[in-house]
Amino acid sequence: MSLKRSLVIAVILSLLSIAGWEVHWRAQGYYPELDDDKYLWAKTRAKVEDAGKNEVVIVGSSRALFDLQLDVWEEYTGIRPIQLASPGSTPLPIFSDLVNQTDFSGTAIVGVTPGLFFSTTYPKAPPWNRAQKRVDFYRERTYAQRLNYALWVPLLNTFAFLANDEENWVDDLNLKNFIDRIQIGERTEGPTMPPFYRFSEIELDRNVRMKDKVVIDTTFANSIKKVWKFFVSGDRPPPDKEGTISFFAKDAEKFMNRGGNLILVRCPADGFLLELETQNFPREDFWDELVQQTGATAYHYSDYKVLTGFDLPEWSHLSGPDADLFTKELVNIMIADQNLPTLNN
Amino acid sequence: MLFNSLGFLLFFVVVLILYYAPIFRWKFKKGMLLVASYVFYGLWNPPLILLLWISTVVDWTVGNKLAVTEDKRKRNGWLILSLVVNLGFLGFFKYGDFLLQNFTLLANSIGWDFEARPIDIILPMGISFYTFQTMSYTLDIYYKKIKPARSFLDFALYVTFFPQLVAGPIVRAKELISQFYVLKRATVHQFIWGMFLLTLGLFQKVIMADTLLADTSDTIFNSTAALNFWDAWAGTLAFSGQIFFDFAGYSTCAIGIALMLGIILPHNFLYPYGAIGFSDFWRRWHISLSTWLRDYLYIPLGGNRHGIRRMYVALMLTMLLGGLWHGAAWTFVVWGLLHGIYLVVEKALKHRVKIKINSINVIFFAFLTFTCVNFTWVFFRAGDFSTARHMIESMLFLNPDGQLVLGYFDLLKVFTITTILFFTHWYMRKRTVKMVAQSLPTWLFATVWAIMMFLLVIAQGSGEQFIYFQF
Repeated sequence: MSLKRSLVIAVILSLLSIAGWEVHWRAQGYYPELDDDKYLWAKTRAKVEDAGKNEVVIVGSSRALFDLQLDVWEEYTGIRPIQLASPGSTPLPIFSDLVNQTDFSGTAIVGVTPGLFFSTTYPKAPPWNRAQKRVDFYRERTYAQRLNYALWVPLLNTFAFLANDEENWVDDLNLKNFIDRIQIGERTEGPTMPPFYRFSEIELDRNVRMKDKVVIDTTFANSIKKVWKFFVSGDRPPPDKEGTISFFAKDAEKFMNRGGNLILVRCPADGFLLELETQNFPREDFWDELVQQTGATAYHYSDYKVLTGFDLPEWSHLSGPDADLFTKELVNIMIADQNLPTLNN
Repeated sequence: MLFNSLGFLLFFVVVLILYYAPIFRWKFKKGMLLVASYVFYGLWNPPLILLLWISTVVDWTVGNKLAVTEDKRKRNGWLILSLVVNLGFLGFFKYGDFLLQNFTLLANSIGWDFEARPIDIILPMGISFYTFQTMSYTLDIYYKKIKPARSFLDFALYVTFFPQLVAGPIVRAKELISQFYVLKRATVHQFIWGMFLLTLGLFQKVIMADTLLADTSDTIFNSTAALNFWDAWAGTLAFSGQIFFDFAGYSTCAIGIALMLGIILPHNFLYPYGAIGFSDFWRRWHISLSTWLRDYLYIPLGGNRHGIRRMYVALMLTMLLGGLWHGAAWTFVVWGLLHGIYLVVEKALKHRVKIKINSINVIFFAFLTFTCVNFTWVFFRAGDFSTARHMIESMLFLNPDGQLVLGYFDLLKVFTITTILFFTHWYMRKRTVKMVAQSLPTWLFATVWAIMMFLLVIAQGSGEQFIYFQF
């Protein structure tokens, strides 16, 4: 065995394999895209440290992420918000971090998705834990991790086969995911989660848009609806209304007392999810009480004709064009109410 | 900094360029390696470099004093200073909370209503490794086995050499410092072989440990339910494989990286799951630690020079402390205790029962050893005794109605990997990777190497830490 020749052959073979792998997945319709992971969240969170009075920070769940478009917001206000909303999680730990670990006193937009916002304050419960992990990572990340991420982003923007999202989408292209997808028969009890496909795109400043495929491919949209149904089915713990409102109200009071501008936003829902939220989280019992106890400025989409009537392809989030329109109308309402800072004349 | 990260790749390329640049002298290159090692460590947590510096300065000073002092009391005093500083760091940073918790429990048990806030202090990465390494230097000078390093630079580089700084191998001064005395350059053959070892180590870590085994092990050991027999065994075997591939992977990377610099580090693993008996296991598992414990703990405690009873006591104490070295929890102590018991029983039986190992029964004894070792891994991995008890019960068929947690594919995956792992270790007992590689045709070796590189790229490891960093 010749080591030199082995090295040359191994390098050539591996480069050819990687090139072939990339070509194969591009032919399948994949393209380079960033991941919404703790690294990107932490990088965005760092911006808050230098944020002034005119800055806007968005916290919330995935609806605040999909429905509030940063480009449109910037177009109408001259200010590009810092997007810290985190999918599938309650905004409480992130808002608490904003209030207690920074001296930020600008505008905080808090997206309220009832099933998540009023879910829990228990640290180990997934809606809390998912957000808290990102907050913790921001505090604990090392310089080595920052360097790795800085080197990783250009690769993510170049190669379609790189995808390592924390959500573990069923269509992620990494070896672990390929192995996890192999199933032989049914051994374990309990329901199996339907396949959950990546249905959004994220930019380096965490501006998120729904993929066009959700709008034009009904089967694809239905696959996401099945996942929502799976998440809300079975035995689920009851909402902790008092606990969550009390926790949030304390931080809200502290934030507003130091001059912060707190705005609560309820984004649209549709179909099965809207029915479920209307039934399980009646507005007067949850939203109205939250608004009353915190004393924050609040915008519920159903109070404004221009914010209603959207067709949500998978019941929970707005399509890209609708999100643009929703953001534009919401921002204009807030500006008209003189509740939002703007640098535009 | 982790070997399985892009940051390390960039770091190492810069180090190699500076190292092989023909314009610099050897002293500069050693200085560059030292600075690079501090950068390597500091990118994790810069202030904790201070501990490395203190350890370095103290042991350098103590080593020099021991070399010129003949007065026994003074020599003991200098040695105690080194031990107090190094073990003091370990005690405070690694065992502070553990000691406080146990003190609180003890106080409460005797009716003293004592309550203490946890110290909650960060554990410096690799502290157990580099403190043991610097202590070995001082102890070797104390025992007059070696002379002090020729220069502070050589000694500082010995303590801090980045390939093995945070997870070993724990290298003795006589094996490493003398390599720094003269200009080192890897031959082309060494450099390429080092690249291969780096690939192999990363493959073990990223593919075998993280991609194939970690999830199964986590699922089982994080489960609160009593588990089915097959699930419990699959979880234990998955961890057994995970910790081997994780740790041996790190050591292989370290050896490969050092070799690319022309520095030779000793083996740390020699196919331990092919061991026949527990003495053999410890000659193959984490060799640099087991020899450290033998030379600086077991032998000073009397070793086998003062009768069988004293030998058993020394052995048990060594293994108990070896267990505690791995982590500040009683579960690690029990892990060490079990290994101690295995070794004592093995030594006791060896004198009473004569078994002739032949080509037929040898595989049975290897399998028996592997099985017994797996029971110890339960205590190593379980976060508490309750989990460990549930696991052991399930592995012994005592939970016939235990919960099914894993799918058929997970079971198939773990049992297949374990079978291959066991027989590979068995086959490799008297071989080395190099011997096997040299016997292969070039095209086959190159293809295997290419497959490993390709899998590493498509695995896109999450860049998480090696298990042994926490020790």
